[in-house]
Amino acid sequence: MAEPGGAEPEPEPEPEPEPGPEVTVNIPFLIRLREQLKQQLMECQTAARAYQGGCPDHDVEEKATTECMQNLENELEKIKTSFKNKTLFMQRMQFADALRKKMAENDGEARLIVDTVLNTVELSQAIIEFQKETRDIEDKMNALRRKRLILRQAEEDKLQKIHLMMKKIKELGSKEVNEMLEKIRKNLQTERAMTTVIQNVFQSIIIGSQVNWAEDPSLKAIVLQLEKNVSESGR
Amino acid sequence: MEALRPFDKLPAVNSAALLLVGADGSAQQRLAEAVLREPKAFKISIHLAASLPLPAERDHLRPRIDLIVFIIDIKSKYSLKNVEASLAHVDASFFLGKVCFLVTGVGRVNNCSIEMNAIWKLRDTYCSPVLLCELESEKIQATTAQRLLRMLQICAGHVPGVSALTFGSLMRSSADD
Repeated sequence: MAEPGGAEPEPEPEPEPEPGPEVTVNIPFLIRLREQLKQQLMECQTAARAYQGGCPDHDVEEKATTECMQNLENELEKIKTSFKNKTLFMQRMQFADALRKKMAENDGEARLIVDTVLNTVELSQAIIEFQKETRDIEDKMNALRRKRLILRQAEEDKLQKIHLMMKKIKELGSKEVNEMLEKIRKNLQTERAMTTVIQNVFQSIIIGSQVNWAEDPSLKAIVLQLEKNVSESGR
Repeated sequence: MEALRPFDKLPAVNSAALLLVGADGSAQQRLAEAVLREPKAFKISIHLAASLPLPAERDHLRPRIDLIVFIIDIKSKYSLKNVEASLAHVDASFFLGKVCFLVTGVGRVNNCSIEMNAIWKLRDTYCSPVLLCELESEKIQATTAQRLLRMLQICAGHVPGVSALTFGSLMRSSADD
């Protein structure tokens, strides 16, 4: 069912070489036709293979096929994105190559391009420096904030401790300390009374024994000491 | 009474065939003329039909159909029923990207007789793209014609590397947002 294409001349090879322009018009058309036929052939082959595989449509296999289909679609997406990325990359390389070639020639446009590129490089460097400064300042700010946070936490701890201590003091002040002080005072009083009694006893013994205590310096020291003590504790 | 099969006949070189199925003949005619007006590098033949199955007498004269477009008018329930009845006469392998639903009349929302849910159900059951258009406006008609032409190119295998199935899955993944 091959038909010659629309308005173009016959694509059959001729014995004598054709003039230049006609040949260049033919060949792209032929190539396009070849691509079309290849694509159509691939589609027909796929369809034939699909028919041979048979079409099971039990419910059990339906789930498996849907899962398979989703997996295949995901893979298709991945391949599409990777292809897109590769195309972008290749286009970027081609672009860079074209720029380089253009810059190598020294005409007016090339100079403009070179100036723009240099300007871009300067701006990028300035941007990098500013970004570095920004990062430093941010680091300093973060350090300050951290310190402030630590100080605030210490403040909170101290306040809590003060609070606890105040509570403790209030409790103690109300009950136990008073009791303990009372006990201590009572003990002290009894001790003082006992000491006074014992001192009086010593005095009376020394005086009652009618020893001349003024001559013996040790006895004198004891009696004077006892006098002092008695006068002190009698207060 | 046979079902339309996509790979029954051999393709003709550098040409494609489009089949428009819909109840409204005049709209089909206008759309076909709009498609013919578009610039293209291959031969195109457009067949109009009110419903399937196509009459079997002229089957040997028909070329291989590359793309079937079912036209549904949103103002008439009959067109939807017509399309649903015709869908039974299409072979299952056609729905791998060689079928498209065209919903016309979406410019006037006050006259809708068909719920969009029914349309989306069609799209999901038959895994085919749904195009919405308003054939009254010249610009939209031209745009729709361009889209149909591009789809026809892909379905006829004129675009190397893109098959009808790829294109169908592309349309579906973007419509499922």
